[in-house]
Amino acid sequence: MSYNYIELITLILLVIGCFFILSGSLGLIKLPDVFSRIHAAGLIDTLGSGFIVLALIIYSGFSLLSLKLLLIPIFLIFTSPVTGHAIALFAHESGHKPKGKNKK
Amino acid sequence: MAKPNKDSLKTLSFITYFIILFVFWFILSGYLKTLLLFFGVISVLFVFWMSYRAKALEEDSFPLKIILRLPFYWIWLFKEIFKSGITTTALIWNGKYSPQLITVKASQKNRTGIANYANAITLTPGTVTIEVDKKIFLVHALSKKLSEDLQTDDMNKVITDLDK
Repeated sequence: MSYNYIELITLILLVIGCFFILSGSLGLIKLPDVFSRIHAAGLIDTLGSGFIVLALIIYSGFSLLSLKLLLIPIFLIFTSPVTGHAIALFAHESGHKPKGKNKK
Repeated sequence: MAKPNKDSLKTLSFITYFIILFVFWFILSGYLKTLLLFFGVISVLFVFWMSYRAKALEEDSFPLKIILRLPFYWIWLFKEIFKSGITTTALIWNGKYSPQLITVKASQKNRTGIANYANAITLTPGTVTIEVDKKIFLVHALSKKLSEDLQTDDMNKVITDLDK
């Protein structure tokens, strides 16, 4: 078994990214209402995709390809809050009330 | 340095925007032939003209002074996202969430700063900006700790300082 360092780092980062995506998907099912589920989706958007793209950049080495890969999280940073905000605003305006686990 | 007047600032922002667009074109294409570079310049000029028509190059929507500080801000933001991401993940797994609504005050002066702050709140997992009313945000937080982190006002200060 001969791993070199780059493959090992890539593997670790991929596992971390997959873990965040798994917890995001779990939260999407488990959390009680629309507003809380947006948090889980945001977890997938930022940390999940971020770690996986980071792993791919390290794996591919520094080239034009890695710069292109770097564009993916940059665009996600600009677009994902907009979608989250749009969903939250629409749910709020159409009368959804956020509910807690311990209801008041 | 002499005091920059309005026209020279405008020219500087045009040049910066042109360079950004061209670098973006080059990253996406990767061509180095003269003819294709020339086509690239033409397409960049076309996009430049469209953004100029759409008034996307005004001082308010394309603030020049931010650009140099942006990388440091992004590194800080990644750190913040990572911290609250771990908190949110722990909350999902152990189920001790208690969703709540809070209001947060923004102290940014222009519209770009306010949009920036609202986006930063939404980007950090566990807090979502629901409604923006002038300078008061309605924020949904997943737990008490996350909402208290937001109410310490650190993020607000960093983003206000970005525009000094």
